[in-house]
Amino acid sequence: MKLRKSAWLLLVLTLAMSMFLAACGGDSTTEEPAGGNEGTEETDAPTGEPQVGGDIIVGSIGEPTLFNPLYSTDTASSDIEGFIYNGLVGGDTKFDPVNSLAEDVQMSEDGLTFTVKLRQDVTFHDGEPFNADDVVFTYNIPLNPDYAGERGSQFETLESVEKVDDYTVVFNLKQVDATFHSIGLSYGILPEHILADVPVGDLGEHEFNTKSPVGTGPFKFDTWADGEYVKVVANEDYFEGRPYLDSITYKVVPDQNSLLAQFQAGDVDFIEVPGTDLETVQSFPGIQIESGLGLSYTYLGFNMQQERFQSKEVRQALTHAINREEIVQAVMNGDGEVAHVPESPLSWAYNDEVPTFGYDPEKAKELLAAAGWTDTDGDGILDKDGEKFSFSIKTNQGNKIREDIVVVLQQQLKEVGIEATPEIVEWSAYIEQISAPNWDYDALVLGWSMSTFPDQYDIFHSSQAAEGLNFVWYKNEEADKLMEEAKQILDRDEYKAIYGDIYKILAEDQAYTFLYYPNVHRAMPENLEGYEFHAKSEFYNIHKWWFNQQ
Amino acid sequence: MASYIIRRILMAIPLLIGITIISFAIVKMAPGGPTALMMDPNIKPENREKFIQKYGLDQPVHVQYVKWLGNMAQGDFGTSLVRKGTPVSEMIANRLPNTLLLMVVSTLLAVIISIPFGILSATKPYSKLDYSVTITSFLGLATPNFWLGLILIMFLSVNLGWFPTGGTHTLNAPFSLWDRIHHLILPALVLATADMAGLTRYTRTSMLEVIRQDYMRTARAKGFRETKVIYKHGLRNGLIPVITIFGLMLPTFIGGSVIVEQVFAWPGIGKLFFDSAFQRDYPVIMALTVISAVFVVIGNLIADILYAVFDPRIEY
Repeated sequence: MKLRKSAWLLLVLTLAMSMFLAACGGDSTTEEPAGGNEGTEETDAPTGEPQVGGDIIVGSIGEPTLFNPLYSTDTASSDIEGFIYNGLVGGDTKFDPVNSLAEDVQMSEDGLTFTVKLRQDVTFHDGEPFNADDVVFTYNIPLNPDYAGERGSQFETLESVEKVDDYTVVFNLKQVDATFHSIGLSYGILPEHILADVPVGDLGEHEFNTKSPVGTGPFKFDTWADGEYVKVVANEDYFEGRPYLDSITYKVVPDQNSLLAQFQAGDVDFIEVPGTDLETVQSFPGIQIESGLGLSYTYLGFNMQQERFQSKEVRQALTHAINREEIVQAVMNGDGEVAHVPESPLSWAYNDEVPTFGYDPEKAKELLAAAGWTDTDGDGILDKDGEKFSFSIKTNQGNKIREDIVVVLQQQLKEVGIEATPEIVEWSAYIEQISAPNWDYDALVLGWSMSTFPDQYDIFHSSQAAEGLNFVWYKNEEADKLMEEAKQILDRDEYKAIYGDIYKILAEDQAYTFLYYPNVHRAMPENLEGYEFHAKSEFYNIHKWWFNQQ
Repeated sequence: MASYIIRRILMAIPLLIGITIISFAIVKMAPGGPTALMMDPNIKPENREKFIQKYGLDQPVHVQYVKWLGNMAQGDFGTSLVRKGTPVSEMIANRLPNTLLLMVVSTLLAVIISIPFGILSATKPYSKLDYSVTITSFLGLATPNFWLGLILIMFLSVNLGWFPTGGTHTLNAPFSLWDRIHHLILPALVLATADMAGLTRYTRTSMLEVIRQDYMRTARAKGFRETKVIYKHGLRNGLIPVITIFGLMLPTFIGGSVIVEQVFAWPGIGKLFFDSAFQRDYPVIMALTVISAVFVVIGNLIADILYAVFDPRIEY
């Protein structure tokens, strides 16, 4: 199971850059539908039977914090939780939920009750059988008023969880929740027999999370050498069969430079390669690279509390003034795609029939003039009512691509008479400045990692402006209404249709200037077989990976 | 002597309290906070509030300070805000041996290499040897640690494969002493470089001064061999100022290793400090600051005591 949650600091500090909003929990695994293997070296078709054995060392810049899916929020911890725990459901290549610990999931007609039949052949790493008690126990944690973890919004719609018999559980919802099946049911199941006596208020700080996590997953926790690595070893009794690899060592490396050096020297076997280093890595011998579109986007947002950004024509003009294609080509070496909506082209909900605003500085000037912005004093900068069109664009320090982007934006906007000043701020300070209740910025460059199940409520609904993540203060009544309605829709086609409309509105309004979708690249040894590229999950189906040792 | 030491320790207490007040204030004034990590739609604002309340981050700074000081006086550094529930003392204890090892080895390396060169340099001033030692040590002083580290990794580890690129041992391999040493060589060497340069210069200057002293001339006049003059009479006096430097090097245990630990992925407290600062893990930052401050005070104390031991002219 794979929880790709919000980015963390370390990641950002170094290089990884995207601020990952991950509305998605759990196993939501997005498999890239086509063209997954754009790597420079062809992946050999598996030759012969998978072989058991081998250790893989995975390099990561982030250090994990704790291994309990209900309490951790960082990517490194989620990665390791994915080795140790399973959810009731996982995700398949088309974003559809597939059963993992569940044998069968039935939703009632009204969408308010989920009846889940559990597999009977599953045991925890300590040999105890897994059953309904564990599921009831796990889901009652976030429902408990003493729960002090940071996961919670996903369980807001959950009313209660009941055990019917040893292998059947019923989930009762307060209201219809389109995301419940694929995301709500994907959280890792904790062992009741170990944690039952721990008060919920203390669970977040319990030793279990750091010293002896026990799950049902393909790998068992072995060692955590603080500051160095976390090692997990094959679970011989895994219900889908023993993983082929003997162990995974998740090695913590200080920064991107070390990561590359260690990969080149063979001290680390598997890394995610930023686009800027792709050429370097391609020249290393004995490796293969798997590439594809990542499930995230980068945007330029304007603070709509400021009057000048409130008009959608002005925002459209700003987008017209920005050459996004050039940004992708020049800053990112063409390693991405221009974005128009807050949805990945990989998603079933993607709708590209939306108004687009290509690079057109003349059009931008016209629109700005129509909005009253003209250069009256001849200094080359537009003004209106004595106020100059001049503002700063903030972004976070350490993200080379974003730092370059703000400089390019400065040049491009200057051509239409807008003065934009780059401002680079350290991550933690940056987040504090831009978000509620400070909103101390004019414009910003940031990124979101996308959910495998589209839900834009948290980011674009007007109710989320005052304290939520809608820190650009985007407000549109019609969009609000549609986002609320969508929450009640269970039929996927209807959901897609309504989200198609939402994306049209967001694009027309230019809620953000959507900049681009980046590609992701993962480098690994040439003889690693069974790897499937997955936009969201680096370690998708890791129990099926094996080394061709011939 | 004993009363002097006690007096010094007592004097250190207000100093340490002052340091904690200033560092606490600075850490709290830094923009951002531990909740910056919680930028995720799955995290409700109420949960962020709960977190802030649970760890008392909503209280006035002076209340937080007094509470923290009280706990610390009882030896409790609190628990990490990032790695929830993990005692800070445990995190530091996990990392400290690595840093100590690195520090001890690099200091020894620096001493073994630089003191003889400093003496040689001083006994033959303005010779070819002296000039080459001088130039080398200035180069060592001027070379940034991280740059040297990266260059060594690039050539010796990546290109030639002679050394590992980082870490303390080879993963997935059985324990081997040689393997540990192998991993230690490059970071210790890089860390020693800066110390070496300084130590060589100090030794040279100090010895040079001693050599010109009257008692040295007297010793020579008595007919002692030159080596005996230098190593018996000269060295003892010449090394007194150098010994002081050791005391002053102690505080760099935390600060000095930050960069090298970063470059060589060495899991010590320097790296812990670096990471905690960026994550605004207040309890860890404060604990390490206090430990650093204690090191500074102890370092100075040790320097003074050593001075007293080696220099009988000093009385208390």
